[in-house]
Amino acid sequence: MRIVVCAKHVADSTEIRYDEEKGEIGLRGLPTKISDYERNALEAAVVLKEAGEDVEIDVLMVGGEPQLKTLKEAVAMGADTGYLIEGGWEDPFDPVRSARVLARAVEELEPADLVMCGLVSEDGYNGLTPAALAELLELPLVAPAVELSPSDDALEAVLDLGDVLRTVRAPLPCVVAVDSSMNVPRLPTVLQVMKVKSDRIVKLGLSDLGLSAVALDESVAGVELVGTASGAVQRKGTVIEGAPEECAAALVAGLRDEGVL
Amino acid sequence: MAVRIIVSAADLDGLRRAAVAARGLADDARVEALVLRAGGAVYAPRAADVAEAAAVVGGLADVVVVYDGGEGPPQGDVWAAALAAAAGPAGGETPADAVFLVDAPAAREAAGRAAVALDAAAASMCDAVGLDAGGRLTVERAVYGGVANGTLAIGKSPAVCLFTPAQGEAGDGSSVPVEERGRVEAATPAVEVVGDEPVEKTVDLAGARIVVSVGRGLAAADDVAIVEPLVAALGAELGCSRPIAEDFKWLPKERLVGLTGTSVTADLYLAVGISGQVQHLTGIKGARIVAAVNNDPRAPIVRNADYVVRGDLYKVVPALVAALGGGA
Repeated sequence: MRIVVCAKHVADSTEIRYDEEKGEIGLRGLPTKISDYERNALEAAVVLKEAGEDVEIDVLMVGGEPQLKTLKEAVAMGADTGYLIEGGWEDPFDPVRSARVLARAVEELEPADLVMCGLVSEDGYNGLTPAALAELLELPLVAPAVELSPSDDALEAVLDLGDVLRTVRAPLPCVVAVDSSMNVPRLPTVLQVMKVKSDRIVKLGLSDLGLSAVALDESVAGVELVGTASGAVQRKGTVIEGAPEECAAALVAGLRDEGVL
Repeated sequence: MAVRIIVSAADLDGLRRAAVAARGLADDARVEALVLRAGGAVYAPRAADVAEAAAVVGGLADVVVVYDGGEGPPQGDVWAAALAAAAGPAGGETPADAVFLVDAPAAREAAGRAAVALDAAAASMCDAVGLDAGGRLTVERAVYGGVANGTLAIGKSPAVCLFTPAQGEAGDGSSVPVEERGRVEAATPAVEVVGDEPVEKTVDLAGARIVVSVGRGLAAADDVAIVEPLVAALGAELGCSRPIAEDFKWLPKERLVGLTGTSVTADLYLAVGISGQVQHLTGIKGARIVAAVNNDPRAPIVRNADYVVRGDLYKVVPALVAALGGGA
């Protein structure tokens, strides 16, 4: 069985700040990592590899030199080969464009049985790439998956639809979006990351995929961030300090005055 | 030329939300509400019948178009095929300018697939939409997990917009003409539904008037028990932050408050041992009063709360229970 996992390189979302004076989102110089939700997808793939015989995992990541370390981390989680799609810059707000680049790469590799994604990515939180990818590859979509049991020609999965847990069976190949509740992703050690030899990383240019950035931008890119504003809600910020009993009494009194108790 | 918008949703609240957004975009917008029948029932929106769906968009939509998704169990890919049929030139005089949906698992699949099928652009997490000077559709949404609000301009048509769930006002109940459009089929191999197991809904975070949430300030899974008397004393619903639900899995995901969980509209939101990462703050914007118990003066929650008790939650929480018990 061959599994392709689409993993995204992102800035650590807990470190991103909005500069109200400049009106800018500060993304430069932040620690970067594999998007949390794709780590769940990778973990799910590695669990299948550990449980089954003859499972091969490829990781697809869009980026360039800065993404190489992140891709090695992804491979170190237990994948066989990492593919870096150079020049295929991913706009977090244009999931259809991202899906077109990923779909071409999936088609270019050896045929996959499972194409796995996170439910969302830790930058755009769009949640549309798996569906767009499935449509481009003309495959069924299994999402949001919380359990996976593949057999030779089908995938049985449990989906968490909120009000119902649905068991489905999809023919292979198919696209899977993994719910973050499925697993706790392993953290590769520094040594494991260092051991990922360069022959396990393959670089693909857009031209290798028959794509060009200009053509993508002209024919595909449709969504542009044209403005930002602070998302913060103004709150009172009243700080209560002292002995726990005094604090508790002061808070309860304050909340009663607000009429919320 | 009038803007032509297709609206659809997984439920009636969503259909109304999408139709209100479409009607608000332009006075002369032509709004078409799409209803999909599948598996012998009305699938999108889930409704008793087409008449019920039509009543919801009374005064908001110009027409209700009904597609038949066949006998099989309902799927997002069939819904996408209906959207593509409705939005394409075959569905009307001109191709649709926009397709509005409301976030839900099947709606995501329908939106992502329809965007590709229509060679369209797609945007998620839309709170509101507008038109810019050049006639491009603009979308207001939280970006980077709620660090800021962003305005996106969509340069392709149709623009497939997935809205955040929210309450829209009711239509005026006037009757909307219904048009039957026939059968649609997905082009992709079908996913077979083996069985459904209903999840007993024990948690209503979105509708709770008071929510008490716990975060990484708790040292162990068993310590969730120390807030339970406080939850009971306040008649609150118990929530949590992302690490508790997604990393440690001490509480089920249905208790997660924030971007990838539930957004609250409570009168009082009490954050216990929650640092206040932006994804969490995004989910509590709708709370009227935010109170916090935290021992870290630099925690982001401090700048994003109305009342902050600076102290050890293991001491403050029992004191709060006593204060509520004594004065209630």
